Amino acid sequence: MRFSPALAALLLLFTLGACATRPPASDPEALAEFLETNDPLEPANRAVYAVNGVLDAAVLRPVAVAYRWVLPQPVRTGVRNVLGNLRGPTILANDLMQGEMQRAGITGARFLINSTLGVAGVFDVAERHFGLRGHSEDFGQTLAVWGVPEGHYLYVPVLGPTNSRDLIGFGVDSVLSPWFWFGQGAAVEALRYSRVGVTVVDAREGVLDTLDQIERTSLDPYAVIRSGYRQRRAAEIANTGFQAPEAAFGTGIGVGPGLPSPRREGAPAR
Amino acid sequence: MTARHRLSRRALLALPAALAPLAARAQHMDAQRATAFIQSTGEELVAVLNSNAPVAERREQVAAILRRAVDIEGTGRFILGRWWRVATPAEQQEYLRLFEESLIRNLASRFGEFQGVRFSIGRSQARTEEDVLVTTLVERPNTAPLTLDWRVAEVGGQPKIVDLVAEGSSLRLTQRSEYSSVIQRGGNQVSALLAAMRAQNERLR
Repeated sequence: MRFSPALAALLLLFTLGACATRPPASDPEALAEFLETNDPLEPANRAVYAVNGVLDAAVLRPVAVAYRWVLPQPVRTGVRNVLGNLRGPTILANDLMQGEMQRAGITGARFLINSTLGVAGVFDVAERHFGLRGHSEDFGQTLAVWGVPEGHYLYVPVLGPTNSRDLIGFGVDSVLSPWFWFGQGAAVEALRYSRVGVTVVDAREGVLDTLDQIERTSLDPYAVIRSGYRQRRAAEIANTGFQAPEAAFGTGIGVGPGLPSPRREGAPAR
Repeated sequence: MTARHRLSRRALLALPAALAPLAARAQHMDAQRATAFIQSTGEELVAVLNSNAPVAERREQVAAILRRAVDIEGTGRFILGRWWRVATPAEQQEYLRLFEESLIRNLASRFGEFQGVRFSIGRSQARTEEDVLVTTLVERPNTAPLTLDWRVAEVGGQPKIVDLVAEGSSLRLTQRSEYSSVIQRGGNQVSALLAAMRAQNERLR
């Protein structure tokens, strides 16, 4: 997890980037919409979106398509379960920081059961045999529960839609994870990098259909993703109103474009 | 630009008067009635989606169901939002026509995906004074089940669908943001949106 040069370049881009023009107070409706959209860095965000779109079409999407094509569904589900299980401690920490004791109990029990009986998290035994359904949490949500406003909307490479608060949350989550601290040496480093790589591919595969659909039918995919992300985050933070993404999908990165979120095939929905 | 500002300020002053008939129109929606309505509309839709009739015929049937079940005018106006009053009467008419067409074409272009679809009604809850959110579980072969919430309001004495909520994300809110963005990027011209919608409908043909 060594993001610093990329992050520095990104911050520079956002500081240098042109800002969207704020409508004058004489046009209250336009101003209200501008504030509601919460995207004063829109020109810079759109530039990143465009560049990311090219990279995505050239690299990420083909890799995700190949991944889906090569590996059968049960294997991909296993991979997703392992990634979700690795996020267990992070989810637990955030449950606790939000004061959600019952949810923390479920997360803790799931991590113990799935790490052992579930063979290092490959099988979601906790849900199947113990009825313990997973949920996701991240530090961006914890900050929101603590009353931290979302800050500006941001579109960043690879991660996709996010905002200042959730981007900070993403950084904190990476450091908060025990896997960030345990072990050293080339093998452990290699494992860390593989986890990041697999997470990105899994997350991209999960939103393959949704993003293709938006790309195909939307008049302005950027605006659709922006609106969808903000609505979905609001629902995730409230922990109500819709089925929370399962542990495995809360990759903690902002790939959820707001329309149907990725979910394991065959998983019971509510 | 300044002309539009004056116009919107005037429009804002006229807002209470414009909203009065809307408030009168919105009546209490009965949760049971809304659920029964979604059940029957859903069954009709699923029957058409799963039939073996030619695509053109199915599209006609789906169009008829949508025209009957969806508050196309109300939803279309909600989505256009503040731009509705900026649009000329001719643009408003054209917009509603294109909006209805895009609804139908979008669904028709996905017939293949919905082959073998099943749905069931989940819990249903009244969300506001005027409308009810009916939860359904949509299942398709080889695809993860999906929770879709239908917002049903009473329009002209009939229950009508006014929004579709997928996993916490409202379709009408998303679409309002999308359309407004297209208009703003087209130099604050509603005609820019109409052109984009026309091109889109053409692509989905």
